[in-house]
Amino acid sequence: MISGFVFRALEGKIVVAIAILLVIAILVPALNLLTPPDSALHIPTYAVSLFGKYLCYALLALALDLVWGYCGILSLGHGAFFALGGYAMGMYLMRQIGSRGVYGNPVLPDFMVFLNWKELPWFWHGFDWFVFAMAMVLVVPGLLAFIFGWFAFRSRVNGVYLSIITQAMTYALLLAFFRNDMGFGGNNGLTDFKDILGFPVQADGTRAVLFAMSAIMLAFCLLIASAIVRSKFGKVLVGVRDAESRVRFLGFRVENIKLFTFVVSAMMAGIAGALFVPQVGIINPGEFAPANSIEVVVWTAVGGRGTLIGPIIGAVLVNAGKSFFTGAFPEIWLYALGGLFIAVTLFLPKGIVGTVQHGLKARKAMKAAVEAEKGRDEAAPVAQAQAAE
Amino acid sequence: MNTISETRQKSLLYLENVSVSFDGFKALNSLSFVVEPGELRAIIGPNGAGKTTMMDIITGKTRPDTGTVLFEDAIDLTKKDEADIAQLGIGRKFQKPTVFESHTIWDNLELALNRDRSVFATLFYTLSPEDEARIEEILSTIRLSHRKDELAANLSHGQKQWLEIGMLLAQEPKLLLVDEPVAGMTDAETAETAELLKEIAKTRSVVVVEHDMGFIRELGVKVTCLAEGSVLAEGSIDFVSNDPKVIENYLGR
Amino acid sequence: MGPRSDPLPALNEVGERELRRRRQSFFRSQGFRRGGTFRPADRGEIMTLKSLLQAFLACLILSFAAPSFAQSDPKPLIDALAKADFNEAEKLLGQIAASGDARVVPALNAFAEGDLYFRKSDNLVFIAKTAGSGFELIDPLTGASAGQAAKNAVTKIKVNNNLRRVIRSAMGGLTLLSADRAVRLQAADAVLRSPSPENLDLVEAALAKETDKEVKARMEEARAVSVLSSDRSIDEKRGAIETIKNLGGRNSLGILNSVSGSIDAGLKGDLDAAIAAIESEQQLWDMAQNVWYGLSLGSVLLLAAIGLAITFGVMGIINMAHGEMVMLGAYSTFVVQDVIRDNAPNLFDWSLAIALPVAFLVTGAVGLVIERGVIRFLYGRPLETLLATWGVSLILQQTIRSIFGPTNQEVGNPSWMSGSFPVGGMTITWNRMWIILFSMSIFVALLVLLKKSAFGLNMRAVTQNRRMASSMGIKTPWVDAFTFALGSGIAGIAGVALSQIDNVSPNLGQSYIIDSFMVVVFGGVGNLWGTLVGALSLGVLNKFLEPSVGAVLGKILVLVLIILFIQKRPRGLFALKGRAVEA
Repeated sequence: MISGFVFRALEGKIVVAIAILLVIAILVPALNLLTPPDSALHIPTYAVSLFGKYLCYALLALALDLVWGYCGILSLGHGAFFALGGYAMGMYLMRQIGSRGVYGNPVLPDFMVFLNWKELPWFWHGFDWFVFAMAMVLVVPGLLAFIFGWFAFRSRVNGVYLSIITQAMTYALLLAFFRNDMGFGGNNGLTDFKDILGFPVQADGTRAVLFAMSAIMLAFCLLIASAIVRSKFGKVLVGVRDAESRVRFLGFRVENIKLFTFVVSAMMAGIAGALFVPQVGIINPGEFAPANSIEVVVWTAVGGRGTLIGPIIGAVLVNAGKSFFTGAFPEIWLYALGGLFIAVTLFLPKGIVGTVQHGLKARKAMKAAVEAEKGRDEAAPVAQAQAAE
Repeated sequence: MNTISETRQKSLLYLENVSVSFDGFKALNSLSFVVEPGELRAIIGPNGAGKTTMMDIITGKTRPDTGTVLFEDAIDLTKKDEADIAQLGIGRKFQKPTVFESHTIWDNLELALNRDRSVFATLFYTLSPEDEARIEEILSTIRLSHRKDELAANLSHGQKQWLEIGMLLAQEPKLLLVDEPVAGMTDAETAETAELLKEIAKTRSVVVVEHDMGFIRELGVKVTCLAEGSVLAEGSIDFVSNDPKVIENYLGR
Repeated sequence: MGPRSDPLPALNEVGERELRRRRQSFFRSQGFRRGGTFRPADRGEIMTLKSLLQAFLACLILSFAAPSFAQSDPKPLIDALAKADFNEAEKLLGQIAASGDARVVPALNAFAEGDLYFRKSDNLVFIAKTAGSGFELIDPLTGASAGQAAKNAVTKIKVNNNLRRVIRSAMGGLTLLSADRAVRLQAADAVLRSPSPENLDLVEAALAKETDKEVKARMEEARAVSVLSSDRSIDEKRGAIETIKNLGGRNSLGILNSVSGSIDAGLKGDLDAAIAAIESEQQLWDMAQNVWYGLSLGSVLLLAAIGLAITFGVMGIINMAHGEMVMLGAYSTFVVQDVIRDNAPNLFDWSLAIALPVAFLVTGAVGLVIERGVIRFLYGRPLETLLATWGVSLILQQTIRSIFGPTNQEVGNPSWMSGSFPVGGMTITWNRMWIILFSMSIFVALLVLLKKSAFGLNMRAVTQNRRMASSMGIKTPWVDAFTFALGSGIAGIAGVALSQIDNVSPNLGQSYIIDSFMVVVFGGVGNLWGTLVGALSLGVLNKFLEPSVGAVLGKILVLVLIILFIQKRPRGLFALKGRAVEA
């Protein structure tokens, strides 16, 4: 049963994409670590971290695509799940600092010492244990998504209403995490990480491994997403997107379908956030900003929602563009991003991948229609004969 | 008293004194309505008579303000939601054909098949030979076998109506509610649809809402005329169409 | 110029309230009953006292031609201050006050200010003013110069807050007999604020002579306050407690609380009852003040949301650039004021009135362009509209940032927008007052436009049945465009008002967009009344949560409550029910 589930996922394009990601996971770190710095093939460490960041964004976009592209739920709060995953990882990294902080407190992170806290808040316990922290990377975003979705989908909050309240959700979290007494470092967030699983975070080797992990996790989540999308469940999902009430009247529990997808997607976003934090070295409440979540939507839209490869391509392209513009013409970047939002919705609603696929399909459909036209003449008498019976 | 309880026991669907109002507008006004097992029933009535609202109530989309809605004399439908009711065996075709346009015709039927609809069951579902046979069978019933791999979006209006009926068949309902199945169909298609519904009604109950009097005549079944939220007349097509109240309210002089 | 708020308006309200409270006490101490002008720089106890004394001085010189009360010479008493410790000084001050000689006022004034010095050589007391490296000495009674002195030749007579209080009441007592009604009233106020038993005889003497009703009432209160700390009979004190209770307010509460430790056991019950009565009255006023703040916040929300109620509520367009329309309106105000400052400064009080049509036209035109250029291609695709208009909002923000820079722009308040006035136990600032009135009038105007005008009729026709409207000959595309322009224009007008209470920066709109959507969704889409009720109730809810949980947590709670509310009633407070639409 499970094997069927996974096997279905391995359809042509997905296999290629996964293979490419795995090759990148090996090749980029290898070129970074094994080639001399003056070699033409050498990839500098900063570039490794930058690409790693793009891969995390790609995973976030993939997660969003699962709910938006396939289920029609436009979440404007996926940044919240990403940030929560990031905070879970950040808390682990903070605990790893130990007594190397500025205040040298073996248990309390610096900001707690600064705030005159005497002991670790209850929700920080366990985060010194990697396995627990990684479980929280999945559990916390998943739980939030579950609670939020349980309420929202059960009462059939739909369309733009849902989008607006997801935005309110991340906005509320933004305000909450800005508060010092929440115990997550307030405005400054969590930073000054030292090491992860005993390896220094800043070291080239660690960064290369983090990059490889990002690529592998992206490949893994792509596999999962593909398996979901190509199962009967995935077809129901698209059904919910296109004709929700029909799905309901066929006897499916639409709220459960949405809830499952939302939770899986939130967990993927959490993984992306967790991989993101050690590579950029900081997590702060800014990640909850509603604008961030909307940006994810444009990555997905550019690449092509409702396709699995699209969001990955979109996230990498848009972020590469952002890196370039904010470096070269910082003034222009918001114009470019704003223009992109408008252009994609007006001229490229299916996104890059979607448009290409559509073109290919249209050609195929043309051929099929011609075939069918020939076939119909033969089939028609049969139908009439059946009707007469 | 005895006859009422007998009616109830025999019934497949039993509505008694059902009322519902929206912002003061009484969409249904103590409507009572009974469908027996294996019955094919037609419903006519002017716009706003409450035909669609009645279907909404039967399928759990709208909750009645007062009244009893029973399925098989035991199940209170007012306490269930759409998915529950669909799983109990009540299928519904919308006025506007509603199929999954970005799926193939085959996939549309596969989704509609009466199998375990839980999240995990659908995640790990694989098509079994008998399911395959069943889909093929329905495809031929709705005359779409030759187009099974095409997207539903490419079907004509009438074919979409048939596909939707096919999906309802795949659902294996005990009761089928069909809202204006021949709207926008050619005469030939209308005739074929009448045949199709009669065929279907051999194994289950069907309730058809339609404006097309010719089509209803073709079905040749018991007719219920609704107006202003309650039953105006019930009987054979000739009986109903000669009722002065029906002529006044619906057919016109 | 009112205080500027930071990006979280709610946060700022707390600070503002604190400021208002201070202002309130300032006004009382000034004896201004209404309409006084206020400069924020004039805050603080010392400054308050100084201006009080100066005001008195001016009146005294005119009115106290001759000393009219006790006739003992105050000069030796003042000189005795040179060697007195704080306790002795307090007694001396009592005697000086009892002298009733108005000539001591400058000396008392100087004492409170710390400008009273004694000469080491002869222990005589002088008022000293800095002159070059030393001091110029002034006779405390006559005001005549007594020559220069080196800094080390004189010693400052120390003063503490207790003494300042004593001085204040002494001054009050001294002026209670003034011929000028206003001075007497102020004097009674001064005694009221810092009562002392020493003044009691003075107050009673003044009371006996007083004929003016208002002054007499004030003096009665002042007497009551003084009686409590004196050694009068229990019955008299009971009467005093009653008088103070009827006076009400925070000050009375303070007075009663301050004597509760020393009061006769027999009066304890009366005192506690009076305190409880004042406290409950105070609570009512606090509640009223909270409601007022809530209405004020609610009207800001209403302003921000009302344009959205048209574009989103009526047309169903998710305009994420709505906040930027508000921002453009605020910048229009800035530009209008800039032009006025340069060309016709005397028109400045009219700047907002001029900015209103300008902002409406500018944002309306921008709205028209957005609708024709982007939105009309996306009707029926709300999620795409959301994304495209978000893009528009980014472009608008960056455009403003490129033209005006990323920093806050200074938008001035016309004179009629500043200041405040008291209503019972609360204070109402003019700018909030105007904004409430303004948002209500916008609301009414819009309601009338939609219900009564031909354009409103066309608009409702198009939104209800586009095809029918079109076949009736209504040019639906233009109705769409102008409806959107109307919604945008109203957002621009809102921007004019919000420029008066918020930072005018390119990010202005961002802080309102989520709140605005919350208001419209909460109130019920497609219903202007819903927007009104939604805005006001969210504003009041916010203000009632704030004192107990803090501004930020209050806002979070409100968001969470709205999210839960939408689950319960997905179509908002005032949703229209209807036959469920198919599919």
